Amino acid sequence: MKKGVMRPGHIQLRVLDMDEALQHYVDLMGLIEMDRDEQGRVYLKGWTEVDKYSVVLREADQPGVDFVGLKCLDEATLDRLNADLQAAGVATEEIAAGDLKECGRRIAFTIPTGHRLELFATKQQTGKWGVGNRNPEAWPRDLKGMKATRFDHCLLYGPDVPATVKLLTDVLGMDLAEQLVDPEGKQLAAFMTVSMKAHDLAFIEHPEPGKLHHASFYLDTWNDVLNAADLISMTDTSIDIGPTRHGLTHGQTIYFFDPSGNRNEVFAGGDYHYPDHEPVTWDSEQLGKAIFYHDRQLNERFMTVLT
Amino acid sequence: MNDTYKHNRSTIETAQHRIELADAQTSFNASSEQSVLVAMERAGQALIPVGCRGGGCGQCRIRILNGEYFSKRMSRAWVSPEEEAEGTVLACRVYARSDLTIEPDPPEVATSWSTVDRANP
Repeated sequence: MKKGVMRPGHIQLRVLDMDEALQHYVDLMGLIEMDRDEQGRVYLKGWTEVDKYSVVLREADQPGVDFVGLKCLDEATLDRLNADLQAAGVATEEIAAGDLKECGRRIAFTIPTGHRLELFATKQQTGKWGVGNRNPEAWPRDLKGMKATRFDHCLLYGPDVPATVKLLTDVLGMDLAEQLVDPEGKQLAAFMTVSMKAHDLAFIEHPEPGKLHHASFYLDTWNDVLNAADLISMTDTSIDIGPTRHGLTHGQTIYFFDPSGNRNEVFAGGDYHYPDHEPVTWDSEQLGKAIFYHDRQLNERFMTVLT
Repeated sequence: MNDTYKHNRSTIETAQHRIELADAQTSFNASSEQSVLVAMERAGQALIPVGCRGGGCGQCRIRILNGEYFSKRMSRAWVSPEEEAEGTVLACRVYARSDLTIEPDPPEVATSWSTVDRANP
């Protein structure tokens, strides 16, 4: 949080069929529907999140990610970062307050990997869902499915990861927590954080810009990951891989797909990062183990199945 | 138990269609309630590449050369409306309504990793 960027505050995902998407994100994953707008977008969140929403679903004829919003400390930070981005040669666009419901103005820009990021500082806070913030109970009793606690991070695929890392580090004050490099030292994957989390935004080098590998949600324990795996089987949900552990970040994980083919992850555990930590580096000769720590072999789907 | 029950019921109530590949002697059965891709997976075959199974990633693109089918919305990144009208579809989003003759047509997805050894057992 060196420059006032706090966390990934929202992600807007495109889905082919809203009703099917809601069965998946609400009934299976346990996100809470918080609102809808006149464009038909649906606003969701994990129950522990204090802001009103963190996932926005938009029906479209091509799945994938529209943008990821990073929440900043305050409006003055937004102005400063906007000026810093422009000084670094990055074109920015201001989106008026209210375009996303109960959200203040957003500063949007495109990073070298082709993804649209935006900065915002103001969003209605409805508090943790189902529990107050005065003498709160441990958890609300009527959660559904996997009971996903929060939108945690996403993994984005696109070209020029090194330039993206430089921009996010120099201008937005993010840290490189973990990376994967080839024998020549070229950065093939970068896990960026603005917090103690192992990753807030992750990137993998890929020729086509703007692709989504997965959107990830946090669970409390390994047992919750196994319960999620049971629910994936019970509902015949499209499975990718897991339950297993990642080498990178060491999170305990399962990957699966929403009904439009966007990959999701639910995970537990994993490493932490402080701003004075050196990045953790994986060598590409250890790629299999870096991605899937138990199988130690990368499947083709991990590299080519994207939205 | 549930799966067994559902499987038995679908065998009784729904028609089975033969999905045949154009250039080989290979085929599998698909009920009209399962996507062509999932039917292939359940038949234990690997004739079409499997990706997301949700119409998003394009891996299971095929051309349907013959037969009747119903299709759900699929990503325009991989199949244009014109191509869809001529029988190019994603196998995970189509349901057979008769016997089908198909031909895999997976898109090339380049990666930046071709020189990297992906396994280290």
